[in-house]
Amino acid sequence: MATYQEFIQQNEDRDGVRFSWNLWPSSRLEATRLVVPVSCLFTPLKERPDLPPVQYEPVLCSRANCKAVLNPLCQVDFRAKIWACNFCFQRNPFPPSYAGISEVNQPAELMPQFSTIEYIVQRGPSAPLIFLYVVDTCLEEEDLQALKESLQMSLSLLPPNALVGLITFGRMVQVHELSCEGIAKSYVFRGTKDLSSKQIQEMLGLTKPAAAGQQGRPVPPQDASASCRFLQPVHRVDMNLTDLLSELQRDPWPVPQGKRPLRSTGVALSVAVGLLEGTFPNTGARVMLFIGGPPTQGPGMVVGDELKTPIRSWHDIQKDNARHLKKATKYYEALANRSAVNGHSIDIYACALDQTGLLEMKCLSNLTGGHIVMGDSFNTSLFKQTFQRVFSKDYNGDFRMAFGGVLEIKTSRELKVCGAIGPCISLNSKGSSVSENEMGVGGTTQWKVCSLNPSTTLGMYFEVVNQHNAPVPQGGRGAIQFVTQYQHSNTQRRIRVTTIARNWADAQSQIQHIESSFDQEAAAVLMARLGVFRAESEEGPDVLRWLDRQLIRLCQKFGQFNKDDPSSFKLSESLSLYPQFMFHLRRSPFLQVFNNSPDESSYYRHHFVRQDLTQSLIMIQPILYSYSFYGPPEPVLLDSSSILPDRILLMDTFFQLVIYHGETIAQWRKAGYQEMAEYENFKQLLQAPLDDAQEILQTRFPMPRYVDTEHGGSQARFLLSKVNPSQTHNNLYGWGQETGAPILTDDVSLQVFMDHLKKLAVSSSA
Amino acid sequence: SNMEDMYIKPGNQERGWNDPPQFSYGLQKVRGPPRTLLNQRAAPPAAGTRTKHTWLSCLSVYVANIFCLSACLPPGCIATTPPPSGPMRGQREVDSSQSEQPEVAPDVDVVVLALDRALAACRQTATDQVCNDVAKRLRLLEDSWRSGRLSFPVRRRMDTLVQALQSGHWDMADEIHRSLMVDHVTEVSQWMVGVKRLIAETRQLSPELLEPLQKSAEIVQDPVPH
Repeated sequence: MATYQEFIQQNEDRDGVRFSWNLWPSSRLEATRLVVPVSCLFTPLKERPDLPPVQYEPVLCSRANCKAVLNPLCQVDFRAKIWACNFCFQRNPFPPSYAGISEVNQPAELMPQFSTIEYIVQRGPSAPLIFLYVVDTCLEEEDLQALKESLQMSLSLLPPNALVGLITFGRMVQVHELSCEGIAKSYVFRGTKDLSSKQIQEMLGLTKPAAAGQQGRPVPPQDASASCRFLQPVHRVDMNLTDLLSELQRDPWPVPQGKRPLRSTGVALSVAVGLLEGTFPNTGARVMLFIGGPPTQGPGMVVGDELKTPIRSWHDIQKDNARHLKKATKYYEALANRSAVNGHSIDIYACALDQTGLLEMKCLSNLTGGHIVMGDSFNTSLFKQTFQRVFSKDYNGDFRMAFGGVLEIKTSRELKVCGAIGPCISLNSKGSSVSENEMGVGGTTQWKVCSLNPSTTLGMYFEVVNQHNAPVPQGGRGAIQFVTQYQHSNTQRRIRVTTIARNWADAQSQIQHIESSFDQEAAAVLMARLGVFRAESEEGPDVLRWLDRQLIRLCQKFGQFNKDDPSSFKLSESLSLYPQFMFHLRRSPFLQVFNNSPDESSYYRHHFVRQDLTQSLIMIQPILYSYSFYGPPEPVLLDSSSILPDRILLMDTFFQLVIYHGETIAQWRKAGYQEMAEYENFKQLLQAPLDDAQEILQTRFPMPRYVDTEHGGSQARFLLSKVNPSQTHNNLYGWGQETGAPILTDDVSLQVFMDHLKKLAVSSSA
Repeated sequence: SNMEDMYIKPGNQERGWNDPPQFSYGLQKVRGPPRTLLNQRAAPPAAGTRTKHTWLSCLSVYVANIFCLSACLPPGCIATTPPPSGPMRGQREVDSSQSEQPEVAPDVDVVVLALDRALAACRQTATDQVCNDVAKRLRLLEDSWRSGRLSFPVRRRMDTLVQALQSGHWDMADEIHRSLMVDHVTEVSQWMVGVKRLIAETRQLSPELLEPLQKSAEIVQDPVPH
C-alpha cells in the first residue's frame, strides 16, 4: 500500500468504513491524549455491485457471550477442522458441511477480500413490504391535487405485492378500508382523543385473532393480510385506491377567519402506529406522513389554531416560552419508540411555507430511520422528484431500501464500544465490550435501524481500555466486527458481516506513525456528529466551546511549535485541512441557529447525522468549483477571493446548488455574446457548470434547491454567506481591487481564526 | 429509448423557492457513471507538496497567487471587452448527430383496438369485476384521446406501449406505463391504472389466449435496450 490515502479509500470502497485513526494507540491514556476518539463512520449497506451474497448461514463462535462470525482474521487448522475466534480466542470445530475445506478449498468468508460478506438466510415466510400513507387534507387545492397525483404515481413504483394503506386526516382521522369491490368504507376517529394501541385495534376490529403479535412473533402474512382490510396488496387494490385518491377532498370543516385549520396529526400517527403494531409487528413497514402545516389539536399539538399566536421560534424556546414544545415532543418520542420497537419507520414529507412542527416530530424519523423532506409545496419539483427517489432502484433492480436492521458490534478485548450516532435506537444489549463512557447512543452493543439505504451511515465511537505501560496487545492488532441483520427490499432476510483490523501502535515511540494514519475528513465528520448530538441537548455556545477546546488540544498535541511563538506553529499534511473543517462547521447551520427556524435546524441536523462521509463533508464545508476560459473547471478555495469577475462558480452545500456568474461574465451574458457564432466558446463556458449541476441534481437525495445567480443578484447571498470572508468591508483596503469580493460581515475569517488557534495552541498557559 | 423522452423541465418557481429543475423518467434511468466527480476541495496552496507547511506560509502563497492571477486578467475586464473567441479547451462535444426519422402519427383506433383485444383475451381468466373496471378506464382513455386532451408524447408512448404488449414484451410495456405515470401523471392517472392491470393480466395468459392479441402486431420490436 503506497499511501494512507489509498489505504483509506480502499477500505471505504470495500468495507464502508472510515476510521479517525488507522493505527490505534495501545493504551487508554494515550488514546485520550489523541483528543479525537478511535471512531469510525460505518455504512452498513454500502452498495457493492461486485459482492454477490452467499446462500448459506454464517458460522458463529460457540462461546455464548461471543458469537462472533467466522472471518478472514480467524486462525484455521485445516487438518483438525478447527478455527480460533479472533475476538475471544475460543477454538471452534467447523460444522459438518465444512468437512471438505483445505488450504486450497476455502469458503469465501475466510478469504481476505471478503472482509465484508453478505449472507442470505431464510427464516420463516418472507413478508411483503408495507407502505402506509398518512395524508393531511388541510391543504390548498393545488397542493392537494399535486399530492394526490404523486401518491397515484407511487402506486406504479411500488412492487405489485407490497401492501398499501391509506389514512387521511384533518379535524377527524379516517382509516380507509381497501377492497376490490366498489364500496368505499372508512373508520373515523376524533382528532382530540389520545387512544391506546389496544383501543385503536379494537375500534378497527383487529383484535379477533387473539393478537399473535403481542409476543413479538411475526404474524404469518397471509393470515394478517386476509384479516386486515386496511393494508392490501397494491396489485389488488390499485384501481380502487386510485379512485379513492382522486375523490379525496380538502378537509370539509370550515376554517374561520383568523384561525388555522384543525389538524389532528398526533392522533393520525397514533392510529397508523397502532394499526401496524397490531397487524405486522417485526415486519418492515414505512409510515409515510404528508403534512402541509403544524398539528393544531389533540395530543401532539404544536401550536393552537389562533393565527395571531405564531408557532414557536428559537427565541421563544430560549425564553422558555414555547407552550406545547415539551408535551408534543414527549408524545412523538413515545410514538417513535413504539414504532422503532416494532421495526416500522416513519417518513415525514412536510411541504409548507411556514413551520410544520418538525422540531417536535423529528424523533419519529430520527429514531426509526425514516426520511424527512422539507419543501414549500407539494406542487414542486423538489417534492415530486425527491418522493420518486424514495423508490429508486439499484443495479439489480431492487429498491434502495432495507428494513428492520439490527447492527451489532464485536470488539477485541482492548476495545470497548462507547456508542453510535445515526438514525438508530439502542437495543440495550449489555456485555463486556460496552464502555461506561457513553458517546451518542451508548450502553449497548446492538442498535436497531428500522429503515436504511445504501448511504445510511452511522458514527461509531470506541474506547481503548488497555492499561498504560502494558505491552502492545498480543497479535499486534485489534479487530472490530460489524454484523448487520436486515430485511432486503426483495423481502429476503440477510446478514452482512464486516470484519476489520488495525495495528496497535505505541503512542510514545510511534506518535508520528499514528499522526500520519489520521483521516482528517473522517475525524471532522465524527467530531461534528458529536457536536451536533450535543447541540440537541445543550446550548449552542457550550457546544462551540467544546469543539474549540478539542481543536486547540489537537493542535497542541500534533502541532510543531516553539512555546509562545505563534509564527512557529506548523501542522503536518495529515492534519492540514482539519482546522479549516472546524472553522466551517462552526459557521454551519448544524451548530448555528441564527437565521434558521427550529424546523430548519432539525431538518439540517436530521440529514447530517445519516449521510456518508462525502455528503457530510459537503455539508460541513461546501464544495466550490470555478469555470473559466483558462482551463478545465477546478476546485477553488471556499473564500471570497475566489469570487472573480471572469469566473463562473458552482457551489454545492448539499441542500443548495448555486451557480454564480462573475461580474464580467454576467455582463457578457447580458450582452448576448453566447448567441453569436464566433463566441461559441462563451456559450460552452456558460453551459459547463449547468451540466455539472445537473449531474448532482440527478443523484442527490433529497433534491437540493437550485439557485442561478450573478454578481449583484439578490440570491448571491447564498454564496456570500458560505465563503470565508477573507475580504470584508473592514479590511478591504489592505487587499487592492479585482481580487475577489468583499463580504459585508463581522464574522471572523479563517485567517483570524487560525491566528487565534495558533496563539492558543502555542501558549504555555493554555 | 426515444430522445424525446429525455428532457429537463424547469421547476415550479411560483410555488417553490428556488425549485430545482425536473428530470424526465427516461433521463433519470439512463444515468451512467458520473462524468465529473465534483468532490474535490482546493487545498490551501502549499498543501500540495509533501513537505510540512505552515498556515502562515500558506497564506502568503495565497496572497501571492491572488496578485499573480489579477496580473493574468485582461486589463480592465469591463463589459465592452468581448469574451475571448474561438474554441475552448476541455469543452465537451454536444452530440447533434441525432437525426429524426419521420414518425407516423399514433392512431387512436389502433391503440384502442389492441387494448380491447387484450381485455377480451383476459376475460377468460380475470374476474368480471376487474375486467369491467379495466374497460371503464379504457373508455376514459379513448374519450381523452378523441377529445384531444392527450398530448403528443403521451399518445406516442401509448402507441409504443401497445406494440410492446402485442409482441409480448411485458417488462417494456410496464416500463412505459411507469414512465407515463412519472412524466405525465396529470394526463394519465385516471386511466393508466387500468392499462397497468391489463399488462399484468395479459402477461399471465396462456399462449393460445394470447394469439388473437399478437395477430394485430405487425412488426416485432427490439426488446428493451440494455
